[in-house]
Amino acid sequence: MGFSEKVFSDFAAVAVEGALKDANIEWKKIQAIMAGIFIYGGNAGHLSGQYLESIFGETGVPVVNVYNACATGSAAIRMAYNSVAAGETDTALAFGADVSPKGFLTAKSDNAVQDRDVIRWKMGGLPNPIYWALECRKRMEKYGTTEEDLALVKVLMSEYGAKNPDARFKKPYTMEEVLNSVYVCDPLRLYEICPVSTGAAAVIVTADKELISKADKAVKINATTMGSSIYGDPTIRISALSCPAVAEAPMLSESYSASRQAYEKSGIGPDDIDVLELPDNSSWHYLVYLETCGFCKEGEADKMLRDGMTKIGAKLAVNPSGGFSSHGEALSAQALWQVIECANQLRGRGGARQVEGAKVAMAQTYGLMGNSGTTILTL
Amino acid sequence: MENMANKVARIPNLVDWSTGEVRLMSAKCNSCGTHFFPKEHYQHRPGCSREGVEDVLLPQKGKLASYTIQYYPCPAPFKTEKKITPYGIGLIEFEEEKIQVTGIITETDLKSLKLGMEMETTILEMFTNEEKQQVVTWAFRAVK
Ligand SMILES: [Zn+2]
Repeated sequence: MGFSEKVFSDFAAVAVEGALKDANIEWKKIQAIMAGIFIYGGNAGHLSGQYLESIFGETGVPVVNVYNACATGSAAIRMAYNSVAAGETDTALAFGADVSPKGFLTAKSDNAVQDRDVIRWKMGGLPNPIYWALECRKRMEKYGTTEEDLALVKVLMSEYGAKNPDARFKKPYTMEEVLNSVYVCDPLRLYEICPVSTGAAAVIVTADKELISKADKAVKINATTMGSSIYGDPTIRISALSCPAVAEAPMLSESYSASRQAYEKSGIGPDDIDVLELPDNSSWHYLVYLETCGFCKEGEADKMLRDGMTKIGAKLAVNPSGGFSSHGEALSAQALWQVIECANQLRGRGGARQVEGAKVAMAQTYGLMGNSGTTILTL
Repeated sequence: MENMANKVARIPNLVDWSTGEVRLMSAKCNSCGTHFFPKEHYQHRPGCSREGVEDVLLPQKGKLASYTIQYYPCPAPFKTEKKITPYGIGLIEFEEEKIQVTGIITETDLKSLKLGMEMETTILEMFTNEEKQQVVTWAFRAVK
């Protein structure tokens, strides 16, 4: 069966099989399944956990299906973690799988009163990257971010993607090539925006000492949190047609909230983190997320990037995987994929892009309309 | 103002031209002071009693707080009879109402766009429907 004939549950099965093998755990040890919903998959996609369970053999365990847009995987792992932490189960599975429709994502309902997404598609002329371009322009005006800064993000991401055998895009780009790529929505160019992708990811969370001892370097989850938006956040959110003109909360406040909750719960702060996987949906995201998550002050991310402070080998390695820029995004899988990338860095499996001596890693997501999750991991 | 007879908004309750000027239909919460657009998309301050929400029209003029130029046609269900790409999209700030609203910019000289410039609300003709009406969306243009 060719790649294009495969369905989301085929991809999910590959990811779950991989997680079971990697953890050296039998299927029957899984006591709960937290499944990311695949929204384009109809009944099967909305009950993805049940479909997945039937492939591996139904065992009657609790199955919960969850959707939080691009932070769907964050919700799944958080539920798996909380189930284990609460003592409800010893071992829980979180997975997400998505087959992306071709081209831009578009409207899913026809009721403009309950779903403002309908208005932005029918009357607004507003595909997703426009929202990022509007924020990017503001940033350029306010902090002096240049087109070269935006291009440099892609240069760096493609350098790492080229070293990652699992990346979808493996070609390294020069500054000149990025700056010569066409504008999608000025100031953002084609190579500075991540595409949609097909993919799956699965994580097993356990407190079972015997299982932990059998795994190849199990990593610890110090915190896994979710945040939503805060009143007065000036960011123009995807789907929205307006935003506050006067800021009363931080930009991307859902991600500000998720990361601060994680810092508080784990007792780990930005200074302690060696590896950060952030959601580089566009070059603008790469810059703003360093600030939103407290790795520098507002307006300082460009300097961090230019000075090489976000490179592998610097104090903080940002997206050593090559990021969404090198992988695209597969909605319900991507947050879990980021956690796996972080775990593999801590386990020394980074290959040519290994961050030497990495002990603390953080995975940060960004989802539509005020959804975000943060996971902090240690060896 | 252009002749608005025989024009209909693609989705109702967003743009009004009954006053003789094209203006966006907003709502204001008299308890927490927040303006909403679209008017049903409430975003109250936490703790607000949510009492006294009334329909208001935004001013006709605002300032360009940000913009982008979109080079690819917006996918369906967006639809225009004429090719409009590349088109500008702006965030127009209504200062007193403390709200910024997105909208297509009808200027064809996209190089002339500058942050802070004064913009006015207008309409963009999208297509002709089966009743031979011009179906429109709200838009913005530079104040000449
Ligand atoms: Zn209110």
